[in-house]
Formats: sequence, C-alpha cells, structure tokens
Amino acid sequence: MSYSMEDNQNSAPGSVPATKLGGARKGTEPGLNASKRLQTELMQLMTSPAPGISAFPSADGNLLAWRATIEGPDDTPYAGLTFKLSFEFPSNYPYAPPTVLFRTPIYHPNVDFSGRICLDILKDKWTAAYNIQTVLLSLQSLLGEPNNASPLNGEAAELWDKDPALFKIKVMDRHKDIEEDE
Amino acid sequence: MPPLNAPEEGVPAAGLASWQQDNSSTSYASYAPNMLSELPELGPLPETPTSSPPAPGPLLSPPASFMRTTRPRRFSNISISSVAATVGSETQSACVGSTRDLTGRSPVLLINYQELQYESEVDKSLECPICRTPFHAPITTKPCGHTFCSECLLRAHQLRPVCPIDRRPLDVERDFCKARVIHDQLDRLRVKCPSQGCGHVCARELLAVHYERYCEYTPVLCPDNSCDLWIARQDAAPDKGCLHKYTPCQYCSKQVMKAGLEEHYDRECSGNTVKCAQCDSSVVQHRMENHVANDCPSTVVLCKWNKYGCGKSAPRHDVQAHEKKPCIYQAIGRLAQDREDDRLIISELKVRLSAAEGRLRVAEQEKTERRERKRRQAGNTNNTMPPFVPDLNLSNSPRAAASYNNGTLDSPEDYMLAQFERMETQMEDLRKNIHELDGLHSMRLLNDTMRLNEQIAELGSKVGVIGMHTTWLMNVQRQSRGQQRAGGVVGSPLSSLASSSGGPGTTNSATGSVTNAARNAPDNEGGRYYNSSLPLRRNSDGRGENPPRL
Repeated sequence: MSYSMEDNQNSAPGSVPATKLGGARKGTEPGLNASKRLQTELMQLMTSPAPGISAFPSADGNLLAWRATIEGPDDTPYAGLTFKLSFEFPSNYPYAPPTVLFRTPIYHPNVDFSGRICLDILKDKWTAAYNIQTVLLSLQSLLGEPNNASPLNGEAAELWDKDPALFKIKVMDRHKDIEEDE
Repeated sequence: MPPLNAPEEGVPAAGLASWQQDNSSTSYASYAPNMLSELPELGPLPETPTSSPPAPGPLLSPPASFMRTTRPRRFSNISISSVAATVGSETQSACVGSTRDLTGRSPVLLINYQELQYESEVDKSLECPICRTPFHAPITTKPCGHTFCSECLLRAHQLRPVCPIDRRPLDVERDFCKARVIHDQLDRLRVKCPSQGCGHVCARELLAVHYERYCEYTPVLCPDNSCDLWIARQDAAPDKGCLHKYTPCQYCSKQVMKAGLEEHYDRECSGNTVKCAQCDSSVVQHRMENHVANDCPSTVVLCKWNKYGCGKSAPRHDVQAHEKKPCIYQAIGRLAQDREDDRLIISELKVRLSAAEGRLRVAEQEKTERRERKRRQAGNTNNTMPPFVPDLNLSNSPRAAASYNNGTLDSPEDYMLAQFERMETQMEDLRKNIHELDGLHSMRLLNDTMRLNEQIAELGSKVGVIGMHTTWLMNVQRQSRGQQRAGGVVGSPLSSLASSSGGPGTTNSATGSVTNAARNAPDNEGGRYYNSSLPLRRNSDGRGENPPRL
C-alpha cells in the first residue's frame, strides 16, 4: 500500500484522469469529502442566506478556512454590532467540529480575550449533522443567552446578571477598542 | 447504552485543547473491523464474498474496505465469476485481471457515490444531513426515524454512538434498519457516469453495471503489471503497453505522459492548431475531420430526415434552422425511428426467449434421462446410483445452487424440478413481455396513423370547398357572358371584370347581372349571401323563440 502511494505521488504531475481519481481508490479520502460538503454548504448559504449571518471561504482559495460575520441580535447588549469570526475545518469534517474563533474582540461570558469560544456544540455535543449555518445561528443566540454556569470570562458572567448597564459599556468599549486597531 | 453516554453528558464544556486531543486520538483502527462485521446486515448487499480483504491498514484503508463491501451484489458476483472463468485462460489481459483480483485489489476504480452528478432534480429530503448529497445505501434509525447514508452514519456513530440529529443513544445492531422505500426512490434518480469523458446518463441502480462492465472510460488498472496507475478502459489494451511513460509532444516537444497526449493536444499544446478553411475558426489539427463532420457551421450537409424523403441540403447552420422549424418529414422520421427501436427490442426479446427455450429443452432432456435411469435402477437394485454432477449450464442461479448444496432440496430430482419450474416462469414472463410490446407498438402506430388520416380528410374537404368555389365562379362567369350576349348593350368590359374577380364576399352593390347570376345558382354556398332575406328571417326567428339568457 505504501509503495503504491509513493508511486502515485511521484508520477502525479501532468498525468490526467487516472491519477486525478487516484485518491478515490482508497475509498473516500477525508479531505475530499470535507471539501465536497463545504462546497455544498457554500452553495446553500449563497442561495438561501439566513438574515444576520454570512460566511465565505478565505480569499486564498482554501476551502478548509472560512471567514464569517454575525450581527448582534436586537434586545441584547450586542445589538447593532457586527462580529467577524474565523472557521478552521479539520480534514474529517463534518465528523469533527470546526475550530471557531471570534476575530472581532468581544466582551462575553463564554468568549475569552483571544476569541476562543466555550460552546458545547463546538466540542462534545458536536454531531455530523451540524453545519456552518447552524453553528452561526447558535453563536448568535449565545450572544443573547450566555451560559453563565461555565464562563471563560468570569467578570462578564458576574456583570451580566448584576449590572447590565456596566456590561453594555464594557461591550461597547471592547468592541470599539480593537476595531480601530484593525 | 446510557452508562456509556452519561459521563459525557455530565462533563462541563472543557477547554478547546482538551477536546482536540480527544478528537485526534480517535483512530480508525477500531473502526474497521467493526464495520466489516456489521455491514453484511446493514448495507444493501449482504453475503459478498469479496468482503474479506487483507487486514486493513490503520488509517486509510477502512473506507476502502467499506466501499468494497457495499458494492452492488450483482457486480461482485460478476467479478467473482469472471475471475473464476479467467483464472485458467492464457490471455494476458485475463491474467492481469484475475491475478490482481485475487490479491484483493479491484481491477476497476470504485464509484464514489458522493461525487456523482445528478441529472434529475433531487428532492431536498433525499439528501443525507451529514454529507449533503443524495443518500447512498440509506439507513434509518429505529428509535428516532432519522435517515443517513450508511457510510456517513457508521462513521459518525464510531465517533459518538448517538443519533447525529437528536443525540439519542443508538446501538448498531439493534437500532439501525435499511430504508427500503427511499432506496427505491434513489435508484430511480438519473445520474451521470463518473468516468471522465463518458457522458452516459442512466438510473442510479444501473450505474454500477454500466461503470464496471461497459463504460469505455472507466479507470482500470494499467495492463502493465509493474505499473500501479489507473487508465481509461479503452486505452488499457495489453498490446498498447503501459501508457504512463513520458514522451515528447510532436508539436511542441514538451514532455507529456502518453495517456495524457490527447488531452495535451486539445488543451495545452499551442503548435497544433490550424484554421478551418470554411468557417475561419482555429481548430486542433487532428480534430479537423471531426470538426468538418460534426461542428463546422459552413460545411454543406443534408437534413437529418434525409432518409425519409427531405431533400434539403445546405450549410450546417441553415440546415439546423430548417430542422428546428421543424422539417415536415420529422413526423414520419420519428415514427420510423420508433418502429426501428421497437423492432430492436422485439428481436432482443426473441433471442432471449429462444435462449430460454433452449435451456428448457436441455432441462427437460435431463429430466427424462434421470427418470429413465431411475426406472432402470428400480429394476436392477444391485446397481449403485451414480454420483450426481449438476450441469454447469443449469446452475446459473447461484441461489438455487446454494440451496441445493446446503441440502434444502433433498435430491437431484427436486433440484432439477426447481430449475425446470424457474425456466417455465421465465419463459412465461418473456412471452408476456413480447405480447405487451406488440400491443403497445400497434397502439402507437394506430394513434399516429389516425392523426394522419384526420389531416388527410381535412385536406380533402378543403379541396372540395375550393372546387365548389371554382364551379360557382365559373357559373357566374358563364351566365354573365350569356346575358351579355343576350342583352348585348349592357355588357361592358367593366361589369364582366367585376363579376370575374368578385367571390362570395363581393358587395351587393355590384352590377345587377351578378345578383341575377347568384339567384340562378341556388346550389352554391355563395348564393346565400346574396339572398338577403334569408339570414334576416333566421335572426328574427331565433330571437323570437329564445328568451334572452341573462
């Protein structure tokens, strides 16, 4: 098996359909399926976009890295703000969750200062039936309903209940701060 | 199941890093043997003898072995039998096919069902929520009723033993079942053959047979034993040798692999184009003939219904417009083509019927021989019964053969009887098919001729009307001339002109001679227009009898 793989790679450049399909011989190669599925999702996002969210692959043509934006839902401290996120998909997506980070700094009980998110469906509750759209919708609803029982940002979790006004100020501060830096 | 799941549910969401470690440590090593043992029950295709490949490697081979087990049963039977048939034969290609088959490698690149292109519109509900493509070998979960591709679900289940939609714990052996209705729906979807260069479109259930047996573009193993690459079947003749060696292109002297030469000429090579003399477009040199024969818009060609009587010949784009208009011979041509198609089908059915009859005859012969032998044995008890060797021709149904070997049919006679019955039903089916086809065919013919007949009748009636008009006109003219001759003075050239050019639609203000003529010809339709009292009376009658409908 290893020999044939080596052979394949050496003669790959320039050869046509045979080697192009060579990957499929080993059954379904994970990377291929992940891109295929991501293409389908892209198509779906383009044809039937959900309000308040958008996502697109990064400019370098790598389907395994995406950029996304969500708008802060009304009636939350985040109303009117827009947040950028990055998605990194593993090669065995959708069997493993993507790594999602907030690029725009955000003051939120379940997001730490480097943008990492604590959300169960991105970890142990992930299932293969989730997709980019459902993840973005979940994140949007997380903005309005943080899970204060397992905070990454303890201060934010306390303020959320105790002092909504101060919370709102901190949110605006943090959001503004870094957007100017960008 | 719950104990397995409980700790996970209870764990608060941990840091990102810890999860990723978890994830990466999930190897496929344990996944492969599971799959193999499960699939015979789950997949659409049980009891494939190919399901015992050499022990799979830890990471990449499990999906491959999975695909092997899910290959359609029909094909795997074929491949096995073809291996058996060719093992002894001496031709090189057969040796290549069989030896490689026996080492556990498929001679044909397997179909990746998730990459297929669908021709028909696919309902969203037929798409797997995991791979987002139409289901392949769908499985439904029993407790929650969600459906997935078997491959997708088993892979997801391997990572977490719960339903991917609602996280209900699932057990592979107890909670999965085949989704038969959906399976049938999927079988009917029209798909494109995945081989590059092949444009074949067929129902999905037929794809495997086309791809693995007939498609000329299916990637097969290179006929050179030392080469491990794939090549289109049409290029895989043993006498061509391995086409995976580099040669310089004869036009641009670039190093190109032999197998890719054609594509290189078509796509990359720049020193290979010439101008078409007729249409001024630049064409690849060795495709020139093809261009003139099929594409060039300026070449003079015949109408495609030429065979059925259309004599049109013109430059291709004119002829295409003419065919689209459409050509009047199209109806006849279509009919004739349909007939040819039907004739082909009928002849094929006839061949099959005669083959079945032949087999039946052999079976009958066997039966009588056996009876004979039995009778002889009954008379001569000392004789021992000769060992029974089933005829290979007759054991073409593996199921029957298997059941015979398993001892469900006690004696060779029973086996023969079963075979015989099977033949009879087969023949009956064939006969029925032929009858149906015959009926269908004559119906279609009748429908088409009826339409033609109607049209002809209509044309006939129109000709009749025109004839009547002409006779009326002639009468008018003749009578006006007679009057002229009789009256002598009134007959000016003007009035005769008016009478000859005026049809039934001429106004009443024409000269009196015309109205006179019309009254004298009451059998003409046109006469009524001039008899002004008749329509008026009718009108008034109608109004008097029928009250207004409002």
